[in-house]
Amino acid sequence: MPENEYQRLTRARSRTTFISRSSLWLGKDHLLCVDSSGYTETYKRFYFRDIQAVILMASKRRAIWNWVLGPLTAILLVLLLGSLPYTGSTGPNSNLGEIVFFAFLGFVFAVPLLINNLLGPSCVCHLRTAVQTEELSSLNRLRRARKLLNRIRPLIAAAQGELSPGEIPARLRAAVGSADGTTMTPAVSAAPPPDANHPDAPPVIT
Amino acid sequence: MSAPLIQCPACQAWLLEGVFNQPQLSPCPACGVPLQVEVFPALFRRINPGQSGEIIMVDGESSCFYHPQKRAVLPCQGCGRFLCALCDCELNGQHFCPACLETGKTKGKIKSLENRRTLYDSIALSLAVYPLLIFYFTLVTAPVALFVAIRYWNAPRSIIRRTRIRYIVAIVLASMQIAGWGFLFVALATHRF
Repeated sequence: MPENEYQRLTRARSRTTFISRSSLWLGKDHLLCVDSSGYTETYKRFYFRDIQAVILMASKRRAIWNWVLGPLTAILLVLLLGSLPYTGSTGPNSNLGEIVFFAFLGFVFAVPLLINNLLGPSCVCHLRTAVQTEELSSLNRLRRARKLLNRIRPLIAAAQGELSPGEIPARLRAAVGSADGTTMTPAVSAAPPPDANHPDAPPVIT
Repeated sequence: MSAPLIQCPACQAWLLEGVFNQPQLSPCPACGVPLQVEVFPALFRRINPGQSGEIIMVDGESSCFYHPQKRAVLPCQGCGRFLCALCDCELNGQHFCPACLETGKTKGKIKSLENRRTLYDSIALSLAVYPLLIFYFTLVTAPVALFVAIRYWNAPRSIIRRTRIRYIVAIVLASMQIAGWGFLFVALATHRF
């Protein structure tokens, strides 16, 4: 694929380590997850034909931030109101410094609080393929994750076909029933490595 | 994992079919965490076991480069060597031998296998900007920033949209720092400072 054929899906957001930032891009036939440390980038490609499931799980991230930022904003608001001059007072306003200080600090905490609630409920998004389940850390809000899901659903359907809701239970039962006989997903083998001289031995790269 | 089952990310319990492809969040049957699970046909796709390649029965048949006793089924699209079914590695409709696949990944010849890049433009820019906080460092870092920007001007940048603006800013800043140091040294040498 020629370069610069990716469309941005999500902005870069910190992973749990806070060292790298993750963003999601849409390619012609795959999703590209870019983890950037600022000086290096690591790429993970999820081809539409290989995506098995997308799992959204509600998280307590928004509530936690509300519990951190809410009381602080409330305390600063009370202090700000307390430092305001009485109504009808005619003397010089000696609390101006305090008012500016509390108003500034209140603003610092109130804006993130507002943004946290405007972004909507938080979630954790996992994407599953046959070989891995990857957490997409840039999708941490339910609304944004659903928007992305609605965007990639037709692309996945074009690559894999549709799956009607009534079809899932039957397919699941059939798959679980046949799981003992045939391999549905690559199974990890505990067999010893084959002999190099055996006809079925894999090629040796020199 | 031998069946196409999905586990709850919170409690690792196997999820039941009632949770799949629901328009809204549904509670996990085990832990009650709200979940929305969208499954696709690939979950139920049967993965065929790998082929081991057929043994050559007739003289004169093309044989695999890596397994001379096995029948070749196609040539590698990287090096042209004949491959048996065992050695055939398919990648996005192309067929490669394991060696070409390894080379393609390490040398970045196969774009879809490239999974890491170094952002030399960001390195050059950082070398040109951050040492300005302690100006004396720029005596060393400015030439290094200039070298990195020029040396890696044509190196692959980020796989996603990115221009050369960081290189240009780094070159301009580093050149100004070098010119400043040059002016200082000339002034000191000629006692005009």
